Amino acid sequence: MYRIAVDIGGTFTDGVIENTETSRIWIAKSLSTPASPGDAVSRVIADLLEKSGASAEDVVDVVHGNTIVTNTLIERRGVRTALVATAGMTDLIEMGREVRYDLYDLHLELPPPLVPAELRLGANERMAADGTSDTELVQAEIERVAAELRALRPQSVAIAFLHSNVSDRHEVAMAQGLRARLGSDIAISVSSHVAGEIREYERTTTATANAYVQPLVETYLRELEGRLQALGVVAPVLIMVSSGGFTSAAAAADTPIALLESGPAGGVISAAHAGKAAGLRNVLAFDMGGTTAKLCVVIDGEPSVAHSFETARVHRFKRGSGLPILIPSIDLIEIGAGGGSIAAVNALGLLKVGPESAGSVPGPACYGNGGTEPTVTDADLVLGYLDPANFLGGEMALDVGKAREALAHVGARIGLNALQTATGIIDIVNESMAAAARVHIAEKGHDPRSFTLVATGGAGPLHAVSVAQRLGVSRIVFPIAVGAGSCLGFLAAPARADRAWSRISPLAGMDWEELGRRLTAMRADAEAELTQAGSDAAACQWSVVAEMRFGGQGTTIPVSLPYRLPGDEFAGELVELFTRRYATLFGGVVPSARPEVVTWRVIAVGGEAHGSFHWPLDAGEIVAPKAWRSIYLPKTGVMGDVPVYDRYRLPPGAAIAAPAIIEERESTLAIPLPAQVRVLADRAILVELDA
Amino acid sequence: MTAPRDIDPITLEICWTRLVSMVDEAAANLVRAAFSTIVRECNDYAVVLTDAQGRLLAQSSYSIPSFICTLPLTVRHFIAKFGADSFKPGDVMITNDPWLGTGHLPDVNIAVPVFHQGKLVGFAASVAHVPDIGGRLRSPSNREVYEEGLRITPARLVTDGVTNDTLVTLIEDNVRVNAEVMGDIWAQVSCNRSLAQRLIDFLDETQLDLDRLGTIMFARADAAMRAATKALPDGDYQNELLIEGSEGDIRLKCRLTVRGEEIAIDYEGSSPQVAQAINVVPAYTFAYSAYALKCLLAPEIPNNDGSFLSIATTAPLGSILNPRFPASVGARAMTGHLLPPLIMGALAEVLPEQVQGAPGSPLWAVQLAGTHDGRGFATTFFLNGGQGALHDRDGLPALSFPSNLANTPIEVLESRCPVKVLRKEIRRSTGGAGAHRGGDGQIFEFRIAADSPVTISFMANRTSFPAPGARGGEPGQVGVMLADGAPLDPRLVSVLAPGTVLRLETPGGGGYGPIGA
Repeated sequence: MYRIAVDIGGTFTDGVIENTETSRIWIAKSLSTPASPGDAVSRVIADLLEKSGASAEDVVDVVHGNTIVTNTLIERRGVRTALVATAGMTDLIEMGREVRYDLYDLHLELPPPLVPAELRLGANERMAADGTSDTELVQAEIERVAAELRALRPQSVAIAFLHSNVSDRHEVAMAQGLRARLGSDIAISVSSHVAGEIREYERTTTATANAYVQPLVETYLRELEGRLQALGVVAPVLIMVSSGGFTSAAAAADTPIALLESGPAGGVISAAHAGKAAGLRNVLAFDMGGTTAKLCVVIDGEPSVAHSFETARVHRFKRGSGLPILIPSIDLIEIGAGGGSIAAVNALGLLKVGPESAGSVPGPACYGNGGTEPTVTDADLVLGYLDPANFLGGEMALDVGKAREALAHVGARIGLNALQTATGIIDIVNESMAAAARVHIAEKGHDPRSFTLVATGGAGPLHAVSVAQRLGVSRIVFPIAVGAGSCLGFLAAPARADRAWSRISPLAGMDWEELGRRLTAMRADAEAELTQAGSDAAACQWSVVAEMRFGGQGTTIPVSLPYRLPGDEFAGELVELFTRRYATLFGGVVPSARPEVVTWRVIAVGGEAHGSFHWPLDAGEIVAPKAWRSIYLPKTGVMGDVPVYDRYRLPPGAAIAAPAIIEERESTLAIPLPAQVRVLADRAILVELDA
Repeated sequence: MTAPRDIDPITLEICWTRLVSMVDEAAANLVRAAFSTIVRECNDYAVVLTDAQGRLLAQSSYSIPSFICTLPLTVRHFIAKFGADSFKPGDVMITNDPWLGTGHLPDVNIAVPVFHQGKLVGFAASVAHVPDIGGRLRSPSNREVYEEGLRITPARLVTDGVTNDTLVTLIEDNVRVNAEVMGDIWAQVSCNRSLAQRLIDFLDETQLDLDRLGTIMFARADAAMRAATKALPDGDYQNELLIEGSEGDIRLKCRLTVRGEEIAIDYEGSSPQVAQAINVVPAYTFAYSAYALKCLLAPEIPNNDGSFLSIATTAPLGSILNPRFPASVGARAMTGHLLPPLIMGALAEVLPEQVQGAPGSPLWAVQLAGTHDGRGFATTFFLNGGQGALHDRDGLPALSFPSNLANTPIEVLESRCPVKVLRKEIRRSTGGAGAHRGGDGQIFEFRIAADSPVTISFMANRTSFPAPGARGGEPGQVGVMLADGAPLDPRLVSVLAPGTVLRLETPGGGGYGPIGA
């Protein structure tokens, strides 16, 4: 049997096919085709079938992730969308939270709402905070709204009423009424079903975003199934979602907003999997590309998941400048540090690196495409970490002279030569990534020294060792770099379903019977989704997560229990888990404060963990260095000769001593510090820094 | 300890960023642990590191402008009161004295000394707006600071590791929601202690002399601010505005004297202090003045002791911007928030592309307290007016400025206290006309849903004086407050019967440039 994973990225569409008996993988790649994204998918799948010799009917599933949702929101190319909100509340999505994301920028721009004022309708209905109805939603009102919508001719409608997170009765009645009157040509998104969380601005925005992309994703997925059938693949399509699990194509077509961050989620799952395969369960997934670095904390094999996310930011690196989306999403932090990040001297006379990036055009100075500002890649080149003749497997020659010139030019402003400027840039960019990781890990209440760094991305392996050293991390894993990291994550990902119900209640006054009914309903709903995705719901790990805080606080801490129906003893267990976690995070609990729950979640995570992938190499095994070259050695502060190895020829079990350089096609592993290096069974490389 | 003669620019950049990053990390922790909605939803807090003399090394990045440079002053008051030699590693100092802190009682200032290798090297300090501080509800109608709640003059909350139980009890027995108030105070203490530990780790690792590092950072920030000030031509720039007070209108007047790299702002000619809680202590006067200049001239320069050395503010003692004790100060924002538009108005002709029309601020706030279903409740929430228009664009509707206070989600508000929000809409066409329109205000209508009468107070002005436009732009519309359709005086504390419907309409922002230009 075979499984296929396909990931549509900005530049490339990557694919991996795995033989499920041998875990052997083959990979394929094609330029993405944004006008018709499915074209590249068809091409990649055909290529995978050919390379592996698999017959199409032996494929048992196809796991897929794409950037359609993200791109549609960023480029504002969604369908004509209307909003039906509680009367008097139709402007909430335009006012947002009334705050500025940059205190000192008088000219800041906010993201306009996805639904303009003329497409926003108020409905006479009102739920109270306890889920009882203040104003009933009557049939005549539904009729009136339907008539207005007919005149507005939207392709998609979002329904978002106040307190629908507590009771969805009015939203459901409106949705059913509109469907009956408007027919199935108009897509309908119901806020409490898309995101059952408290906070009307955020939930309504999430519902409008879902509505905005829904018809496009539905069409795309229908077309994709047709394409697969044309290739003879009859297996179900599974869709990777932001939380790091997968779901059925039907569920994805219904709630496409859940796909938002599927690619990055796949990358993190892949890193977590690489850590697990090496027997390491606390992992800091570190991905560094051309423009950004992404970090994610994986505790005991589980990537941390956040329940709100921001997309389509006006300023990519300014928190608060985007649209808030309340979906479970792998908790990534992204900072403006990549190979293309530009170094410049600021008003304080200090060297700053990023977040501006040279991108691929003109690119770093060493590309020789007209870039004159020095970048991180230029610094890596001048310090010997990159080989000018072996960039992208030698496809692109790098110009050391141009890099040195750009570095010297900026350095001169602060009295540094080219080499000093290069070491400065590397120190600054590595420190900024380490600082972001330090804060992220501290927020979760952990000590960075207990982690292993798993490095991916074009620039990740160049910087990982130094970032690790700054964090006090002594182990670094470099997974096999097939250039399709997200796809391996897709294959390793478990089935996953999340349901949420928000209702603020102190534990002391909790109605356990009602909670029991809610949990049962959420579980049944999640089971249906899992079954649809071809998973064995009974074999999943089911948990109940309570988002808890002390009454009066704003931020919650998740507390997780194995799924069961609650009784009075639930409260005691939750309080104990909560207070223990609270004390870890904040150094003590608050005497006499009342613990309460804001949101209840039911989470199912599927089956057993995926084993190691097997990726045989064609070339013969050689442990000896292929060359020596001079690199910058931070320990001594001078350039010195180190051995250069070919990663593709290092066999499992090989051990070498660093400082050393290990080259592969997509990247270079720079290990400028004294360390022991081993090749693991799945050809991942483990570096252990000397104390 | 090795003290290098100079610090190379790379090490300096890394150390500077490390200091800001450790302060931001501590701030993130404080926000997550806070009970106060105003801290966590509205960033009404600040966390700083100072050196041993109380000079600001780094301030948390997301704090609202009210706290620019106030905490270092507070730390210096602690040093002056207790003596630099008296501090022990386990000490925690506290004060909320408006004149020594941030200008009103709800802001509790906490500082801990930081020792490295046996020597006092600095202070980790924080300020946060606690949920209650006793006294009457916050209202401009309070006449003396004594009415406004508990005033804690500088004291040791913890002495050498031993908690001052008398002080803790005194606080607990004089505030309304005491578990939450003490919860916030202890959250500040733990935030400060973890920040102190981060600084110690940093010094262990780098072996840098913090004094030397600080001196270099201050000099750089000072030089950058001075360079930015050169954008302003030498000259005297004046402006004044009127705003409604309880007993007659209040006048605010400024004269900016720009000479080379220095700016002096004199508020001479502003109204005398009033028996109304809208007086502004000098630290707050400075904070909003410095904020306006930083927005206009040098938004990217980090806040430290050097950043504002070239800026001075003065106001005559006894004026509304420098009141004598025991003036009431609780609603100081109603005056202080007018300083940025006052200053921008003065500089509009020399900085035409930087200034904006006056916003529909100061922010509006509603304080509610009462009982419902046998249980007490107290809450505060905010409403914002329209943004002033800029030289190249319209103002945005309902946006906080110059503070940065978010609204409370309706679903959160209604879960917590007995009100029913009937309407929250953009108040269309209320921004001032002009080449670019000012941002619109908002309409917020709610019904008292408690089972007994509710005490309510407000901060709300620009109900008679609209937000002026810039450079020929028209003013925005004034704000309106109605109870069951009849005008309600927002300056008074009112008791409202269940079922009363309140309608608040916040002011529009001023336009920019003449219509049609």
